[in-house]
Amino acid sequence: MSKFLRPLIAVGFLGGLVLVAQPASAQDAANGEKIFKRCSACHAVGPGAKNKSGPTLNGVVERKAAAVEGFRYSKAMTEAGKNGLAWTEEHLSEFLAAPRKKVKGTKMAFAGLKKDKEIADIIAYLRQFADDGSAAKPEQANADGAIQSNPGMAEAEPEANASEAEMAEETKKQQQTGAGEDVAAAPKAEIADGAGESVDASAGDEEAAGQDVAMAPPPPSGGPMNIGRPALEDEIAAWDIDVRPDGKGLPEGSGTVAEGEGIYDERCASCHGAFGEGEGRWPVLAGGQGTLTDERPEKTIGSYWPYLSTVYDYVHRAMPFGDARSLTDDETYAVTAYLLYLNDLVKDDFELNSKNFSGIDLPNHDGFKPDDRQSEPQNAENAQAELCMKDCKEGPAEITMRARVLDVTPDNADSDEQDELGEGAID
Amino acid sequence: MVESAKARGRIPNARRQFLKAGLTAAGGTLAVASGVKAAQPDPKITEIQDWNRYLGDGVDASPYGSPSQFEADIVRRNVPWLTADATSSVNFTPLYALDGTITPSGLCFERHHGGVAVINPADHRLMIHGLVDRPLVFTMDDLKRFPRENRVYFLECAANSGMEWRGAQLNGCQFTHGMIHNVEYTGIPLRFILEEAGVKADAKWLLAEGADAAAMTRSIPIEKVMDDCLIAFKMNGEALRPEQGYPVRLVVPGWEGNMWIKWLRRLELGDKPWAQREETSKYTDLLANGVARRHTWVMDVKSVVTNPSPQAPLTHSKGRTVATGLAWSGHGRIAKVDVSIDGGRNWSEARLEGGTSKGVYRFYHDFDWDGAELFLQSRAIDEAGNVQPTKDQLRAERGENSIYHNNGIQTWHVRQDGVTENVEVS
Repeated sequence: MSKFLRPLIAVGFLGGLVLVAQPASAQDAANGEKIFKRCSACHAVGPGAKNKSGPTLNGVVERKAAAVEGFRYSKAMTEAGKNGLAWTEEHLSEFLAAPRKKVKGTKMAFAGLKKDKEIADIIAYLRQFADDGSAAKPEQANADGAIQSNPGMAEAEPEANASEAEMAEETKKQQQTGAGEDVAAAPKAEIADGAGESVDASAGDEEAAGQDVAMAPPPPSGGPMNIGRPALEDEIAAWDIDVRPDGKGLPEGSGTVAEGEGIYDERCASCHGAFGEGEGRWPVLAGGQGTLTDERPEKTIGSYWPYLSTVYDYVHRAMPFGDARSLTDDETYAVTAYLLYLNDLVKDDFELNSKNFSGIDLPNHDGFKPDDRQSEPQNAENAQAELCMKDCKEGPAEITMRARVLDVTPDNADSDEQDELGEGAID
Repeated sequence: MVESAKARGRIPNARRQFLKAGLTAAGGTLAVASGVKAAQPDPKITEIQDWNRYLGDGVDASPYGSPSQFEADIVRRNVPWLTADATSSVNFTPLYALDGTITPSGLCFERHHGGVAVINPADHRLMIHGLVDRPLVFTMDDLKRFPRENRVYFLECAANSGMEWRGAQLNGCQFTHGMIHNVEYTGIPLRFILEEAGVKADAKWLLAEGADAAAMTRSIPIEKVMDDCLIAFKMNGEALRPEQGYPVRLVVPGWEGNMWIKWLRRLELGDKPWAQREETSKYTDLLANGVARRHTWVMDVKSVVTNPSPQAPLTHSKGRTVATGLAWSGHGRIAKVDVSIDGGRNWSEARLEGGTSKGVYRFYHDFDWDGAELFLQSRAIDEAGNVQPTKDQLRAERGENSIYHNNGIQTWHVRQDGVTENVEVS
């Protein structure tokens, strides 16, 4: 994430210089929207937003704490609301910086946003939503005098996986719409000076790729039915990110435990816990070694997963939840290194890279065997004889266990009474 | 029980209705509809009803039709405590309310790992690459130029009945067995796509990938791919529902649902499996000795009585009745289903009505209920001779932490008042 933010902030800074004191604006809100993806695993906002593991955030700015109907707040948050806590910009900023410090005992597991600018941007974003999720009135939304009345949500990019090229494009758009003609007319090179090379380079790539697709008439597939067209190398590279246990598909790169800790704390810990212990029902990532034969095994990367390549592949393709493919190759190395560290498999000064990756065996590497269900004894037992049809068991049937005792069926069970059985079976 | 349930004050309609139904049956004297004691003429017959006098809605009142308002309780439901968040969760098909073999599209259970991807078919691409002669890209329009087939198959989640390993837990076949659906697919044999790209000799595995936020991936052996897998874009004659992978999904007949990649966008040929998250950390079956089975793809022979069941109690007093349910096997056809009303002491062969290889079969057991309590079970046998095992047989062999592939025999206890409960019996 930090890598993405850097160019944006740099450009924002440049825009500020040109325009003199740009106040909170659609640009901040648009940036806030990107940052909000980190929150979106637990919170929804916008029309039709429902409570998730966190309450809906429609109309949250300036509202009383613990005020969303139907959401089960922590006792601490409910108390805070009763005692008059309201989410003014000041209080909300403090909460977002350190949730558990501001409201001790809150259920919100997120560690907090470190940068004041990110907090301000998120609040600018949330301010755009009225109680029902519709766009708040402009004067309300941009109370502090934004230049344009078109809230960022109207132009919201639906994609979850904003590539750097898209970020650059977004930045350009914001400059054109939000910052006025001066910046829009500025040659690209100047923006690149201010924003760093990556913006210019990736924006250029995008244009080139766009032209390829638009202009080349698709050649025939050459297959028996001549359907489809040849896949281009760049296209395959864009989608083919899978990594195999033998290292095939692993990109060049590296990351240290220390780097991983920073990324993990910011991007992963809110669901998976500061030590990989898992918040609520989110997956546990660390610990559990030696528990596979226990009554309640704890299946983690360290105790169960056979291959490190799976960790890298999965984090890279699907994490952070709700903001998939937002980690760079190096960031993924770093997070993977940190997960090894959380599982006591490497020391704190460890660096994981494309060279040493394949040499690392996870503890449960040999804990799997092929499917041999067909050789289970009951198959032979059941199949051998004629299947019994009459008087197959002695005595009348006695109940040995009943579902009603547990009483965990939905519609019938209060969520406080959930049983431990089967919990976490699905994730 | 009824009072304590009421005291909670959170009983939705379906639940309330079947509690009421149970009470009515228990009362017996309230059985107006039975006709036996109908000394007074039934006003529903003797009086002219509104719907018999006044006009109803015209055509187009509901351009895409919905079920009757009186069926509003028949919906997919989830078990909130199972998962951390609805975007990576599952809900369940209301099997207790369905008959026949085809599952209505809107009631097919959902399982997502990153929410429902919303994809305009004009923006969708399917790529095939890896160990092929010609890496190719197809649009949806391209795909519809391949020859296509219609096939009915069941899709069962490997974790169906997974919450029952330690014993009877959830009260309703919707929850114990509802991670299954059975629809007619229109699709392209996957081998046509592979042949179009030209498969290299050393290609032994296929990686299929979804376009959703989980970018779901599974490795599938090439033999299965070339045998009966489809790329489907229609279900029950209409476009796939978004939650079932619109615009295109993989169909892997008889194998666990997780492999049926939705929002299918990429096919990669390789010489080894990829050991992705959903085939290592998940969808592997941990045994009591700490070793786990992997690549447990086939869904074993299985059946369940869907009526009566906890959400569908018997609502009449003793007399003629019907027990019905579903049977299926990932190994092929169902050869026979037996039903027991005494907890497995005695069995009767049930009547099969409809069914396909690797699709569900409907069975009926018609009998005179003597009004005594019932312990209803069903036992399916497939054409390969596989017999559905008891839950105790499975536990003895695997322990209680396998999560997946629980195909044990289910028992429903039907009380004299018709109320039905999920139990296990000696």
